[in-house]
Amino acid sequence: MSRLEAKKSSLCKSEPLTSERVRATLCILKGVLTSSYGPSGRLKQVHNGLGGCVLTTSHSSALLSSLPITHPILKILTTSMQNHVSCFSDCGLFTAILCCNLIENLQRTGLTPTTVIKLNQHLLRLCTSYLKSESCGCRILVDFSRPQTLLCLVRSIVTSKPAGMLTREETDHISALVLRAFLLTIPDNAKDRLLLGKSIIVPLKGQRVLDSSVFPGILIEMSEVQLMKILPIKKSDAFKVALFCASLSGDLSDTGEGTVVVSSGVSLENAALEQLLNLGRQLVGDHVDLVMCQKVIHPSLKQFLSMHRVIAVDRVGVALMEPLSKVTGTQPIGSLGSISPSSYGSVKDLCPAKFGFKHFLHLIPNEATICSLLLCSRNDTAWNELKLTCQTALHVLQLTIKEPSVLLGGGCTETHLAAYIRHKTCNEPESILKDDGCTQTELQLITEAFCSALESVAGSLEHDGGEVLTDMKYGHFWSAQAESPSVVNWPDLLSRCGCGLYNSQEELHWSFLKTTRHPFAPQTCLPHEATGSANNLTLDCFTAKLSGLQVAVETANLILDLSCIIEDKN
Amino acid sequence: MVMACRVINKRRHMGLQQLSSFAGTGRTFLGPLKSSKFIIDAECHESVLISSTVRLLESLDLTSAVGQLLNEAVQAQNNTYKTGTSTLLFLVGAWSSAAEECLHLGVPISLIVSAMSEGLNSCIEEVVSLQVPIHNVFDYIDSTKTFSGLETFSGSLCPFLQIPSDTGLQKEHDLKDVASPSLTICNLSGIPVKSPKLFRPQAEVEADKNTLQNSQTLKNSLLTGNHHRKSILIHSRHFNRTDNNQWINKPDGFLEQHGAASPSTYRCNDLVELEMGLSHGDHNSMKLVDEAVRLQYQNASMQQGNCTMPFRFDISRLFTCCLPGVPETFSCVCPGFITVVSISNSALIKELQNQPLRIILIEGDLTENFRHLGFNKATNINTVLESMKVQQDSSEELWTNYVLQVLIKFNVNLVLVQGNVSEHLIEKCIPNKQLVLGPVNSSVMQAFAEASGAVQVTYITQVNENCVGSGVYVTFWRSIPSDVMGRINIITVVIKIEGINLVTVVLTSPVTAQMQSKEDRFWACAYRLYYALKEQKVFLGGGAVEFLCLSHLQILAEQSLSKRNHVCSGWLHNTSSWLASSLALYRSTVLKCLANGWHKYLSTLVYNTANCSSEFEASTFIQQHLQNATDSGSPSSYILNEYSKLNSGIFNSGISNKLEQIPSIYDVVIPKIEAWRRALDLVLLVLQTDSEIITGLGHTRLNSQETEGFLFL
Repeated sequence: MSRLEAKKSSLCKSEPLTSERVRATLCILKGVLTSSYGPSGRLKQVHNGLGGCVLTTSHSSALLSSLPITHPILKILTTSMQNHVSCFSDCGLFTAILCCNLIENLQRTGLTPTTVIKLNQHLLRLCTSYLKSESCGCRILVDFSRPQTLLCLVRSIVTSKPAGMLTREETDHISALVLRAFLLTIPDNAKDRLLLGKSIIVPLKGQRVLDSSVFPGILIEMSEVQLMKILPIKKSDAFKVALFCASLSGDLSDTGEGTVVVSSGVSLENAALEQLLNLGRQLVGDHVDLVMCQKVIHPSLKQFLSMHRVIAVDRVGVALMEPLSKVTGTQPIGSLGSISPSSYGSVKDLCPAKFGFKHFLHLIPNEATICSLLLCSRNDTAWNELKLTCQTALHVLQLTIKEPSVLLGGGCTETHLAAYIRHKTCNEPESILKDDGCTQTELQLITEAFCSALESVAGSLEHDGGEVLTDMKYGHFWSAQAESPSVVNWPDLLSRCGCGLYNSQEELHWSFLKTTRHPFAPQTCLPHEATGSANNLTLDCFTAKLSGLQVAVETANLILDLSCIIEDKN
Repeated sequence: MVMACRVINKRRHMGLQQLSSFAGTGRTFLGPLKSSKFIIDAECHESVLISSTVRLLESLDLTSAVGQLLNEAVQAQNNTYKTGTSTLLFLVGAWSSAAEECLHLGVPISLIVSAMSEGLNSCIEEVVSLQVPIHNVFDYIDSTKTFSGLETFSGSLCPFLQIPSDTGLQKEHDLKDVASPSLTICNLSGIPVKSPKLFRPQAEVEADKNTLQNSQTLKNSLLTGNHHRKSILIHSRHFNRTDNNQWINKPDGFLEQHGAASPSTYRCNDLVELEMGLSHGDHNSMKLVDEAVRLQYQNASMQQGNCTMPFRFDISRLFTCCLPGVPETFSCVCPGFITVVSISNSALIKELQNQPLRIILIEGDLTENFRHLGFNKATNINTVLESMKVQQDSSEELWTNYVLQVLIKFNVNLVLVQGNVSEHLIEKCIPNKQLVLGPVNSSVMQAFAEASGAVQVTYITQVNENCVGSGVYVTFWRSIPSDVMGRINIITVVIKIEGINLVTVVLTSPVTAQMQSKEDRFWACAYRLYYALKEQKVFLGGGAVEFLCLSHLQILAEQSLSKRNHVCSGWLHNTSSWLASSLALYRSTVLKCLANGWHKYLSTLVYNTANCSSEFEASTFIQQHLQNATDSGSPSSYILNEYSKLNSGIFNSGISNKLEQIPSIYDVVIPKIEAWRRALDLVLLVLQTDSEIITGLGHTRLNSQETEGFLFL
């Protein structure tokens, strides 16, 4: 008997942002993100409460993907942040916190969404054009002849995640390795198009971080027993390689639906094995030296190959397939039929390697832009975080080679930008207001909301109750110990600004970030010598931050513009 | 699907508190005198006897996030080093209390993190001075001098100093005199044997020095009772000789004495002494390890003729065979592979004895249905019969016959299988004089592959003439009287082949419940020796390194108090933050808390070894020495000094009457330091964690009481 049930009507909630629950959850989300931000950010233990593995992290990609959020508004926010992170890897927390701040501040102004959005977009345009302009006071052009800038950029990223548990020495080591791994992916002779290679991160847990290293070529992990079987490797100038993506395990994986009927006395398994052995004969006949398979090779085929002095490596895994095909110049073979000779490739050399307690087969290519970053760490938690961080850093370097600029980090870009916007809207409001029909008061309100959202992102870097300040000349970000006496000698109490470019001894005036101050024009046009001499700057990826700024403002606009949520209850 | 999020760092740091309470359960495992625990399952009333940290954590409910991280850390240490887990667990507890103390004192978290890791790193650099290099322990190895337990020393009155042939010009001092640590050594019967230690009056040493060369006075015999004294101490403060340098090859960093007039060097070049030092009271286990090493050494020398390659102790070729229900005294070490087989095989083995057998090695299971890893069986295949002829044999039967044919064809009488073996096949093989054994450990398989020339295969179909090995002998293993074995109703066989690099250690225990811990203890000793030999260095044991860490940190703390503007802000990454400049302000506080952790460690060590009646007394004892060390100006030379004195003081006044000789105690280097680091890493990780995010449906398990403090999204 079938039963019909009437459809439930959809639920429609208007003005979703005004609901108390939305505000509260938004506030919790913001709290989670803010407290994770920066090099002294707090970590989060993510687990399922049922004894599943525990992830300790402060990485936006790990946090955002593990928060199973259901409220539509939060979902818009996290989805667009995840989108940003998947494209740029960096600045995820910055984007998310800025977005939360913007929603909170702009909502408080009480202006209509249309006005808010319109003015917001103006301010965003102001920001982006300033950041891209020649006169920008917080952007440094990367000089590729000096690796120092790139090294600072990598170090800033590596130090921004405390769960990596690195000492200073280890940070330097890892930063240098990441940079080296990146440089190995740049082809020697790029003509018109630069095609970057790939750095593969190879895990080696339980070892000291300082044992990490970079190798050109590919490391394939294998068990000692397996490695012993293929040793000694005969010497040769080049090894002919066949790479299989099809399984060579001899099973009948594609029997499809329905039933296959075979008469007794016929063994499908033997037939499959016979086919594999035929394939083996062809490989031997074609003088292949090395057979690699993404999946499993049947033990009998392995035995056959090794009897003919062909090295067989199986269970390489899908992650290594693309780099392997690139390094060796092979076409991955997907069928067990006859193999076209054009599918074969070659490697220059093969050698066994042992790191820690793991054994590897090291493939050394003729010339290729693939390298392996052997990443060591004492415990799983730190390793996972370190791996994410290194991936981010490698990605950021790629972005930087496309757009050779970096932004000042440590909160300085945010406060500088806020000072610039404040000054601009205060002194030249006409340029914004002329075609909009907004009043100057509205502009002032929105500017204040926008700028303080930016500034409080910078302020989120402080987690230990310190005071946050900005100077009135460069508009940079400074931090000081709290509860300092009111009459205080600031130059002595402060040391350097957040990015490390300026020190406190050069006759500056400071003001607390939270207090209102007169708009001032922050000094633009970074002097060349200033950036050239500084060795220990905190830097941010230009492309990622710019995109983060845009995504944050636009997502905030989108959320503020929501007038109702329609929920299908069926 | 709701996210639950708990702020765990509001008033008191819950994570740190959990850590210290978990760690508290393992405090009695610290030191050589471990009290066993019974863990009882309240529901099914099963109980298990445990005496190690790893087994303890296996039995505890560690489903909380922090518990899991702790378990992860202990497992990682255990999987990598097989030793140091008790130290790890204890320090996790001590340092989480230390971190909490710092929080109470208002130190910012980032500063606790940076000052603590700075402090520990500094300690690790400092304790290099207590490393003892190991030199050529296998150069003097001889069969007449083997490891014998402590008991044997009690009666042996005067084996005199034996001067190694190459150091003839050198008068020798017993390292024991200088390096006996402050521990009670427990012999296996569980009776603590009071043992010597840290400190004895210098006069006695001087006396020794004079008497040693001459004749044996009673005292001298007492002091030199152990006959394995090949280590030499040249300690300038006491043995101020000028001719030392000509033979002491002093590698950098080893035992260079800070601030002393001239450096002193310990070294260890005697295997027995090393083993004694690393046995940590478990002489019975170490005795077995010693025999195993000697067997491996003999085997290696025989294989190599004149032994050109340096001998390496290969722990992967050590294998244990546990026989519960057999008296303790039957534990022994034998070359080859000893295993328990079912009684039904005894006639077969009788027949196979005394003749060389051909062998094959199967990597997988030896059953009809077994397929290699990665092989997916198709489920939708039906086999139909084309004629009405009824098939007589099942496929299992056909397969079994095929296996028998292969074995007969290649004239194979012994099959070792890494996985499971079909029972039916085993039965069928018996009449054909074919012995099939499995499951067999993979390193055993590897050893037989090397020695017999057999090649491991996955399927019986792969067998060809090249895969078959030969020259293997099977016999009954009868070192244990048959009446004893008859009582427990098993038979044991030994499978041997000329030159096989495999040693089986037979462990016996009359109490089945103790079997596991006996095996664990054996491996702990084996791995300690393995790492010591591998690293070619050991620490002075018995708390010496920890004591140096403690006093070093205290000095650092004092220094950072006096030198406020000390440069070392280098540790913080973010140098522009105010934290960097205020590190100097808090450093001394944090270092003191860290040092308290060491203090607790040492007090517990002393208390556990039953030298003190209360923890307070133990703590005072440590405090006293700490004061002395600080006063002396150089803690490391103080420790070396104290080690060089005889202890007449607090805790072993009774010793010298007992004619017992206690050798020096050593400890492994890297596993120990790694345990410290892992402990601190874990504490700092938890310290920096401010909330717990519970994903998925996990929150539904939280009962209403627990939901307090949770925020829901």
